[in-house]
Amino acid sequence: MRKGYDHHRFQPVKSLALLLIMSIILSFCPKMTTSAAGKDKIILRVSNWEEYIDEGDWDEVIDLDSGDIIGKNNIVNDFEEWYYDTYGREVEVAYSAFGSNEEFYNMYTLGNKYDLVCPSEYMMMKLAMEDQLQPLSRSFFDKNDPNNYYIKGVSPYIQDIFERSTIDGEPWSDYFAGYMWGITGIVYNPEYVTEEEASSWSILTNPRFKRQVTIKDSVREAYFAAVGAIKSDLLTSEAFLNDPHYKENLEREMNDASDETIKAVQDYLQKVKDNTYSFESDAGKADMITGKVVANYQWSGDGVYTLDQAEEDDLYLSFAVPKESTNIYFDGWCMLKSGIQNDPAKQHAAEAFINFMSRPDNVIRNMYYIGFTSCISGGDDPRIFEYADWCFSAEEDEEDVTEYPLGYFFSGDPDDEDYVISAPTDQVNRQLFSQYPDEKTISRSSIMVYFDKETTEKLNQMWINVRCYNIRKIPLWIWILTGLGIAGCAIWYLRKKMKKDY
Amino acid sequence: MRRYSFSRKQLAIPYAVYLLCFVVAPLFVLMFYAFTNASGQFTFKNLTMFFTDPNTLGTLFYSLGIAFVTTLCCLLLAYPTAYILAHSQLKNKSVMLMVFIMPMWINFSLRITALKEILSLLEGNLAYHPFLNAIIGMTYDFLPFMILPIYNTIVKLDPSLAEASRDLGANEFQSFLKITLPLSLPGIISGVAMVFLPAMTNYVVLDMLYNSTYIMGSLIGSYFAAYNWHGGSMIALILLAIICIFTIFTNGFGSQDENRGGVLL
Repeated sequence: MRKGYDHHRFQPVKSLALLLIMSIILSFCPKMTTSAAGKDKIILRVSNWEEYIDEGDWDEVIDLDSGDIIGKNNIVNDFEEWYYDTYGREVEVAYSAFGSNEEFYNMYTLGNKYDLVCPSEYMMMKLAMEDQLQPLSRSFFDKNDPNNYYIKGVSPYIQDIFERSTIDGEPWSDYFAGYMWGITGIVYNPEYVTEEEASSWSILTNPRFKRQVTIKDSVREAYFAAVGAIKSDLLTSEAFLNDPHYKENLEREMNDASDETIKAVQDYLQKVKDNTYSFESDAGKADMITGKVVANYQWSGDGVYTLDQAEEDDLYLSFAVPKESTNIYFDGWCMLKSGIQNDPAKQHAAEAFINFMSRPDNVIRNMYYIGFTSCISGGDDPRIFEYADWCFSAEEDEEDVTEYPLGYFFSGDPDDEDYVISAPTDQVNRQLFSQYPDEKTISRSSIMVYFDKETTEKLNQMWINVRCYNIRKIPLWIWILTGLGIAGCAIWYLRKKMKKDY
Repeated sequence: MRRYSFSRKQLAIPYAVYLLCFVVAPLFVLMFYAFTNASGQFTFKNLTMFFTDPNTLGTLFYSLGIAFVTTLCCLLLAYPTAYILAHSQLKNKSVMLMVFIMPMWINFSLRITALKEILSLLEGNLAYHPFLNAIIGMTYDFLPFMILPIYNTIVKLDPSLAEASRDLGANEFQSFLKITLPLSLPGIISGVAMVFLPAMTNYVVLDMLYNSTYIMGSLIGSYFAAYNWHGGSMIALILLAIICIFTIFTNGFGSQDENRGGVLL
């Protein structure tokens, strides 16, 4: 067969091979970005969570008093059009999505370039500490510019947190524009679980619900819940609650990462592992609806979704927030230095993107589509409150109605009578509660900071210790069985070999 | 006009390039990460860490356990099936085989989701039997990889050998034990290799069936999620070493027989 080998034929093939190799090498090279037509076009690389923005194609119209709202097109395309109409420059959004903060960070360190990203607050803190973030420009905070929807519309409550929380002395708000926010809590089935039982992190180890509760498959979420459960007595004591520095103390306690606490958390999570149905990353919602579990550790935004879905199957679930403390989290926009590269046109487009997403009608579109709660309250524009009212207010013939004040979020004044929803009473621990928790609940919320590298490593090791099978747990009979098995194999092999030698 | 034709060597070039780019080069990257620390210095610490930490060792043991039991279950189910298929009187055996294999062509995550519902129905609450569920799921998933190679070897066996043993006075069972079983060993070995190794790392099945204990695959994943690429690479490398040892060992068994490598699909 090899006879046909002939060196004369080699040349064309060699060049073919060369071509192949060249094309492979070339495909690895960064793409050339300057094309003649795209000279004037701004390319904005935006990365956001999966399914975390309105993609259009609705069949329902939201008919508010101030006009109808409907998502026809993908909101990103709407932005491109709006930017051209408003500022007269073409912008093309290269939109990508990630599944977790860690996934985003891995892609970013691997060399993917982004201009504007929407991570959670702790990832933003990590990026800021590494000096990767481009500060928002001064003009972004100018309330006189009619197109600055963000600063005009951001909830005073959220803005206050963003200004109070700092990274190396600088407030979050310098880098971080809120998109969605929420708290963590427990979605539960009131047929089996009382509200009181669901209102404590210790439900995760409650033997009454053995193998019927789920917890998030994430170190940070699990750690927060475990700390809350371990320190339950302290956190709910009168002295602690009435301390004038309650908020600071709470945040300090909940972010405690001393070695003893980590050890205690590890022991506690071992117990959780023996008691829980699963560590879930996404299946918890479905398991809750199909009734496989009776309680599910959940983010409030996903809680709304779960409650809505269950309702379609005539299953009425509730949402509770543990009495110890709840983790308040924010997903928000921040610009990356490596992407923007001090290009004012690009930065302008990025900030315009934030503003466009903060325009009240777009806020409603996004909220309706993804089910989370926006950081924007609308400012002078009443539409977002109207939307909340549209979603949750009681029908006129409803008898059991509760006044649900949301002034703290919409105007900064908890007693503001303009922002009260008359909701059916059962909504007070259901969708309305998980979409907009009341002020009392939110007062016991704590942010969870970004831990330094050393602590993060300790936490990860703790997590691995919890999830792995410890070799010391292997019972003796398995060791004996394994030993016998290996010995048996060896003897059989040797005998076979000896037989052959004869 | 000149005619171009390719020699065998030249035809292999695309594959060689592919191999170089996507198998060999990443392997070197893996080695680099496995033997360096976060600041890029050479170190054996990742290796010693793995073999001194009771948790990672336990995970290795647990994965081996799962893989072993899965392989055993697959073998016990697949051998009779393959034997019966190969000895059936039907004219078109391969059609029969297809009937057995075809359900396995459905996307595996879909099948596992269906299995989850069935198991929930049977067990009431899945979470009480994590090990059992993992075994059932994996056996279900890997069964065809065991049936096919065994079937292929048995169907090629010369029936006159078994007949000869019967003529010489062996009963049916003795004839099976002394003739058919040893001769189908190569099929068994390739089946075992195709089930055992993936079963050690396939954590998706465990995840979907709510076994919250890590096996090797999920352990690597957790290291990477925690940005510890060095530890993760080392575990991947250790797995590779285990696979190599296993392959050499099974090849040692197989080479004693002539009719070797009755593997493939």
